Amino acid sequence: MDGSEFVVLDSISLNVDEGNFASIVGPSGCGKSTLLNIIAGIETHESHEGGSIQVFPKSGAESTPRIGYVFQNARLLNWLTVEGNIQFVLEAQKIPRDTWDGQVAKYLEMVGLEGQEKNYPLNLSGGMQQRVAIARALAIEPDVLLMDEPFSHLDEITARKMRFDLMEILMRAKPTILFVTHDLGEAVFLSDQIYMMSTKPARIFKEISIDIPRPRQPEDPVIFDLEKDLVREFFRVLEAQE
Amino acid sequence: MSTRVRGIGLRIGSIFVMLGIWWVTAIWMNDVEILPGPVLIGKTIATNLVTLGPEGQTAYFHIGITLGRTFIAFAAAMLAGIGIGLAMGLRKVFEHSLMALIPLMLTMPTILMVFLAVLWFGFNEVGSLVAVVGVVTPFVAVNMFEGAKAMDKSLLDMAKTFKAPRRMLIQKVYLPMLLPYIFSAFRFGFGITWKIVALAETFGIKYGIGYMFFFWFEQFIMEQVLAWIIMFVVLMLILEHGVFARLESKAFAWRPSHSL
Repeated sequence: MDGSEFVVLDSISLNVDEGNFASIVGPSGCGKSTLLNIIAGIETHESHEGGSIQVFPKSGAESTPRIGYVFQNARLLNWLTVEGNIQFVLEAQKIPRDTWDGQVAKYLEMVGLEGQEKNYPLNLSGGMQQRVAIARALAIEPDVLLMDEPFSHLDEITARKMRFDLMEILMRAKPTILFVTHDLGEAVFLSDQIYMMSTKPARIFKEISIDIPRPRQPEDPVIFDLEKDLVREFFRVLEAQE
Repeated sequence: MSTRVRGIGLRIGSIFVMLGIWWVTAIWMNDVEILPGPVLIGKTIATNLVTLGPEGQTAYFHIGITLGRTFIAFAAAMLAGIGIGLAMGLRKVFEHSLMALIPLMLTMPTILMVFLAVLWFGFNEVGSLVAVVGVVTPFVAVNMFEGAKAMDKSLLDMAKTFKAPRRMLIQKVYLPMLLPYIFSAFRFGFGITWKIVALAETFGIKYGIGYMFFFWFEQFIMEQVLAWIIMFVVLMLILEHGVFARLESKAFAWRPSHSL
């Protein structure tokens, strides 16, 4: 633009193994969402020094990877039924029509919305709409599932319930997930790996593996302690920058 | 629900009150050449529908002519307006080049547009068509332009992330987002169209409801003048509220509080 350059992301390297849940945690404006959008292909990136993004499809290296995306807002098509919204992405991904009913039923049941097939999104609460968005993203059985602060627009009580349910859903669906959040507690509770990101320049300054066995409990003191340690670490890095 | 029933009751009631006032006034004035009563008008309309009029045709013939002109002109104006509006909303070149012209067209008084159209193109079908297109197209275009501007980009991004092909984007994302604007343009545009067609007919385009209205106006036969006006208004009310409003409520069934 106008000959000037806008470098948001520099020297970022991360690697998510199949079936793992990786979180990127960082303050607002550090470019976390941009990173997801680049992976999803809705923002273009130009790289000078050989940057690349690769998603290895399960169905063979030749095919294009399937990417599921859960956004901050549900982003449902309000004029389609719950079922219609899921069928929309199944059709977009050219998934055979005779499997649609099965996929819709399976993933709506998984997110706890069985029986809502014919309902319209605007009749659902914000939390339920986000559940539809999760079912939609899972229904295409993506090679990677991108989640961009999916609970940040919900009230804390709903968000807690959703995090817990998401963990249970993932134990059944086992997708590979790249999750973006500014909430360290959320990241610790959900993730196998956490990448901590700082701003200006955006870079990953720490990578941690979380080995707490699943199912995890939100009240688990081990989770609280780890969260506290990571918050302290964050402040140290941010202060060192100033 | 009860407020809805009450609302409908009041609407129907108000029509009867107006008919009552008309009926009483007509009896009180006692002059059929100035204000014939509702019963006489009703009878006149019924007679017009079944007997041949001065042009050797029943009222159905003239209704058909007027409706035909209205629908054709309206379809042309809608198509042109939607095309221009979308072009303006999606391409800056069109937005900048047309933004100055459209207010010019919108500011032009409707009646002058009708005059110009019949002067240039004659007292015929082309004249009324040009008048309608001249008045309605800019209005539809502005509506569609606003619709195109108001489109939710985040939904388009969602659809693109899931690799929705172009056909699905148009059918399931763009079109539903534009539909409220299309409907509002449709309702308003149709209302102006039939008024312009009727006006053009009174100016002397052969046949049609406006033509008959003017025919009786020149002879100063009040009951026929009123009969044609009222028949016309009732017909258009049935079309707008009975047909179009139903279509609209069906198209927006997904809105939780949709009401008319």
